[in-house]
Amino acid sequence: MPLVLVVEDDPAIRSALIRSLGERGHVVTSAADAMSGLREAVEGRPDLVLLDLGLPDLDGTELLRMLRAVSKVPVIVATARDDDASIVRALDAGADDYVVKPFSAVTLDARIRAVLRRALTPEADPVLVVGGLEVDARSRTVTLDGARVDLSPREFDLLAYLAARPGQVVSKRELLTEVWRLPYGGADKTVDVHLSWLRRKLGESAQAPRFLVSVRGVGVKLVEPDG
Amino acid sequence: MLLTVAASTLVVLAAFLVPLAWLIRSSTADRATSEATVGVQPLAAVVGVSDAATIRLAVQQVRSAVREPVTVFLGDGQVLGDQRPRTDSVRLAALGRAFSADLPDGGREVLIPVIGRPEGTAVVRVEIPAATLTNGVKTAWLVLGALGVALLALALFVADRLARSFLRPVHSLTETAARLGAGDLSARVRPGGPPEVAEAGRAVNRLGSRIDGLLRAERETVADLSHRLRTPVTALRLDADDLRDPEERERLSRDVAELSRTVDQLISEARRPVREGVTASCDAVAVVGDRAAFWQVLAEDTDRRMDVERPSQGVRVRLAAADLADAVDALLGNVFAHTPDGTRVLVRLLPRPDGGALLIVEDEGPGLPGPQMLRRGESTAGSSGLGLDIVRRSAEASGGSLRLAAGRTGGLRVLMELGPPT
Repeated sequence: MPLVLVVEDDPAIRSALIRSLGERGHVVTSAADAMSGLREAVEGRPDLVLLDLGLPDLDGTELLRMLRAVSKVPVIVATARDDDASIVRALDAGADDYVVKPFSAVTLDARIRAVLRRALTPEADPVLVVGGLEVDARSRTVTLDGARVDLSPREFDLLAYLAARPGQVVSKRELLTEVWRLPYGGADKTVDVHLSWLRRKLGESAQAPRFLVSVRGVGVKLVEPDG
Repeated sequence: MLLTVAASTLVVLAAFLVPLAWLIRSSTADRATSEATVGVQPLAAVVGVSDAATIRLAVQQVRSAVREPVTVFLGDGQVLGDQRPRTDSVRLAALGRAFSADLPDGGREVLIPVIGRPEGTAVVRVEIPAATLTNGVKTAWLVLGALGVALLALALFVADRLARSFLRPVHSLTETAARLGAGDLSARVRPGGPPEVAEAGRAVNRLGSRIDGLLRAERETVADLSHRLRTPVTALRLDADDLRDPEERERLSRDVAELSRTVDQLISEARRPVREGVTASCDAVAVVGDRAAFWQVLAEDTDRRMDVERPSQGVRVRLAAADLADAVDALLGNVFAHTPDGTRVLVRLLPRPDGGALLIVEDEGPGLPGPQMLRRGESTAGSSGLGLDIVRRSAEASGGSLRLAAGRTGGLRVLMELGPPT
């Protein structure tokens, strides 16, 4: 069972995380401030660290930098700041992923599993291939039959998420939570309009889909086109 | 400034040059008169003691020396030298009085009585023509005029230089104040010029730093607010996830999601000043056109006809571009979410006569639950209401309002009024 270190100063969240992650099969240790968190991360050798950025004694980003100097342990950052600058700063400081508060136990668990999976198979091919479509997660480039496709960052994230699950129907709710990291509600047309753009750029339409197939009432899937 | 200097310099120059010109003229005339008088003095001595022939000879000598008409009127009626009539002036001088008098042609005559001759008092008269009286005056006046023009030009030049050295820091000051007002908080004055202007420059710099500092503090406060509000919601959400009873868990999760949306809205509202900076303003035509183009692809994919009418010229409104884009996204997202595929959409942007713009998003859908939609978003569930609530807040923040009406074909017409920039 993976050992997860939770560094979180809020006692209510700390105990809720220990309980719900424990129920989902993780062993959880915790620290209430940055310094004890750093000590625990080095000495306790956890498999993953869940780090709150708003700590009382030291900014979480600083702690992350210090931790990265001595350890390669996967880190998921939990932050209340959802502005791009804060998220980019955290990722640049060495975070492997992030969750924006308020996150649910299910989302957090899924992210922990995903990060651990990546940590276990570090040499996995970063290029996802579906038919003539190649999605390179490392260089964030997409080619269709060898020709470069220009995508906006959000369109790329959307396609990469679907390409990682070929043939699997993904709900718009999941896309909003995972790609947009937004709580579900009201903004579901945002997903639709981005899908429309993606279709356009992949040279197809909703009426004549090739890669992106909508499943009415369920969601959308990325498939290898016939012929 | 330059006009004032020109006027006052002219007054000073006039006060100085006009008397001077008059003085030059009269002193030239006086000099010519006294030269002529001195020139004929020896003749007066000769006339007193000599006979007519000697006098005639003397007149010729004097005449060639003074080069003016010289006449001697003897007491017995004889006129020697240049022939001139015996005028009243001559008769007056014959009474024993020496004087000079102006002649009608602008010249002057000098009359010297010579007493002692047996036949009566003789009068020596020398006539100074007008040309001699004003000889050199014109040149002097021209020099004076040139001097006046040169002085005026010099005064204007010096005034201009002074004004420039005074105005340059003032220009820099107003320019910086305008940039600060337009939201460029990095604008600073290089203080210079007179002490008062330099001090004003330093004050504007302090003001700029202060506004910058306040916005920074605001940013920190909002980040802190975000942390303080979202942390307890997270605890609540994790606790709700842990509930055993699925029905209870679902109900509580819904409530937490609603709470979470409200918190997001609060944080977004609190961030507004940070987003906007000092002044919020954007080109509504560009933003609406951009967002409409973004949604156009979904309209095509869902067999909708989406018409966009907007002015060819830009229209500025008092709202940050990001906020207006969010509002347009919410309005169009609502149409796509709540009307069946194939429903026509009309997006119109009209400039308002008193500044700002009116954005109309109208669909030909089945119409609406009613105006309570707006209020619904403020309180409980209702995704459509939530979207419009964001639109309403942005409209009101821009100094406008949001109205809902029935469209021409019974669909919903949303009118978003956007105020002009301050």
